[in-house]
Amino acid sequence: MFPTPIAKTSRTWQISYQALLPVMLIIWLLPLIAVANFSIKPESDFVNGNYWGIPSSFEAFSNYGRVFFESNMPRYLWNSLFITIPTVIGAVALSAMAGFALGVYKFKGNLLLFFIFIAGNFVPFQILMVPVRDLTLSLNLYDTKTGLVLFHIAFQTGFCTLFMRNFIRALPFPLIEAARVEGIAEWRIFLFVVLPLMKPALAALAVLIFTFIWNDYFWAVVLTQGPDAQPVTAGITEFNSQYRAAYHLMSAGSIVAALPPVAMFFLMQKHFIAGLTLGAVK
Amino acid sequence: MHSILKTSLAALVAAGITASSAAADAHGLSGELNIISDMSNPAPRAVMEGLAADFDALHPNLEVNLTIVDREAWKTQIRNALGANPPDVVNWYAANRMRPYVDAGLFADISDLWAEPEFEALASTKGAMTLDGAQWGVPYTYYQWGVYYRKDIFDQYGLSEPTNWEEELANCQTLLDNGVKCYTIGTKFLWTAGGWFDYINSRTNGYDFHMALARGEVEWTDDRVRQTFANWRQLIDMGAFIDDHQTYSWQEALPFMVNGEAAAYLMGNFAVAAMRDGGLTDDQLDFYQFPMINPDVDYAEDAPTDTFHIASGAQNMDAAKEFLRYVTSAEVQTAINGGDALGQLPVNANASIDADKFLEQGFDMLSNNAGGGIMQFFDRDFDAEMASVGMEGLQEFMVFPDNLDDILMRLEETRQRIYN
Repeated sequence: MFPTPIAKTSRTWQISYQALLPVMLIIWLLPLIAVANFSIKPESDFVNGNYWGIPSSFEAFSNYGRVFFESNMPRYLWNSLFITIPTVIGAVALSAMAGFALGVYKFKGNLLLFFIFIAGNFVPFQILMVPVRDLTLSLNLYDTKTGLVLFHIAFQTGFCTLFMRNFIRALPFPLIEAARVEGIAEWRIFLFVVLPLMKPALAALAVLIFTFIWNDYFWAVVLTQGPDAQPVTAGITEFNSQYRAAYHLMSAGSIVAALPPVAMFFLMQKHFIAGLTLGAVK
Repeated sequence: MHSILKTSLAALVAAGITASSAAADAHGLSGELNIISDMSNPAPRAVMEGLAADFDALHPNLEVNLTIVDREAWKTQIRNALGANPPDVVNWYAANRMRPYVDAGLFADISDLWAEPEFEALASTKGAMTLDGAQWGVPYTYYQWGVYYRKDIFDQYGLSEPTNWEEELANCQTLLDNGVKCYTIGTKFLWTAGGWFDYINSRTNGYDFHMALARGEVEWTDDRVRQTFANWRQLIDMGAFIDDHQTYSWQEALPFMVNGEAAAYLMGNFAVAAMRDGGLTDDQLDFYQFPMINPDVDYAEDAPTDTFHIASGAQNMDAAKEFLRYVTSAEVQTAINGGDALGQLPVNANASIDADKFLEQGFDMLSNNAGGGIMQFFDRDFDAEMASVGMEGLQEFMVFPDNLDDILMRLEETRQRIYN
């Protein structure tokens, strides 16, 4: 099932593998390299058609300086943070409780309820675009961070609950039974017995949701407009002025916008990979 | 020296404003004036905020409330905004773009303002502000279209600015013989081809015919339209345009001109800033009015105009009208269109402009040599759906000119569906 480890293959294959790997890596990263290259070019390079060549002058400081000091980017970054963090807290808290209920209690319709949570994940979110927009509009939440947060929590909780429920199922049930024998209230069991055991799942889920929400573009465009509420993914288009697209600033802005999730990934790599497999393997 | 000039100009403007404010105060405007503006890009936004603040300061008893909406978003929000609880003054565009709101009775008829003597200075756009014989808004800025060309390349081959079609074709042949394309263009997003059609059609058949076509009153299969395409085809068959232009945006087509592979670009004045960024100096770059084709028709020019309108449900009509007088005055139009503000052209013929050779030529052209009329550009003059089908057809024509019959049939079908 797994490919033979490279260390056990023939020497020629090892060499060609080592030679091919960097080539593949560069091809794979080409779009990102281009964006990074664009972000340190002066604007004149785009007018001269110098798209792929070496920048005619090194403009990283002025480009990134303008992104941070002469645009709404800092506001968009704050918006992203104020949207992402409450969503992570809300979705993880709700799903931990829902997962506990679905994983521990036996009641009629338990499985059905669980399937509804799963089924929600299969709804392609594009078809929700119009109704959700109308809903937020009539709730006076259109173009607010709150509106985006509430929607994200509602939509992410489905996936998170599936994840949490499966994780709680895998915990040794006798622990909970022992606590019950001691006469501990159910909410205290959740808080003091189950929750501490769920730490790896909570961490993994938080990292995962953070990157999901931070990178969300679709709902940001549908539900918000302007620097008051828009997160950074949608705000980048601000560098398109009425007539011209400022490719160099947009590239610099994209790099800045991509940094938090990348940093998150490297800092929490262990949890991230755990998060991708935890719910799947029972 | 420059700053002294600027300061004295500012003083002059201030003096002018005080003078007009003394007159306005007599009216004693009071209450609230609610403005929704779509000037959301940084420089226009500062201009609009300045306008609102200055107008507020001029009228102590009047409270000016300004809401700035994203320029793109406003295109879908305007109908809602004008319908329920309307503001007094809104931004929009001239000509056929006003049509839906005029027909729905959402814009107020301000023909009485246009009858005032001060408004004669805005005559160049009066036609563009007129629908059904009445005026529905006032212009605050526009910019010229025309041919921006590499003067150094023209000089190298001994060419001069063409004034008629024969000279144009002769120039082009010389350039092509020397391995230089006559025109760069990027039609990926279609609209650039609309500019070419506007010019060739209005130069061939005149402004009135062009606007009748825009209003859907003429068949696309009309022989006069075919003549337009025949003229256009002369250039296409020569190979005047850069190859594969359908894969470039207008910005991506700039390098051809900056690197000297193409000699000219039919474009709006906003292209100048980009060309200068690319390293072209004012000695290398120049401008000429699109040449005459049919000597019997007057010059008509593309000059997309941005406007202010009063909502028909405005609560404070007096203040709204006074604001329109204010933004159209020569002093204010001079100030807001300056290089440090919008950097475009004032519509008021008495306004002055920055010392910039392209602005000067454009202002002169639009004020004195556009007797045919001011077009608003293909996608603003034509019905929105007609424009989008139309521009696809124009692009296809530029790539496959042999498909013309097919394209015209398609456009004609669209016209009949939309206008009947």
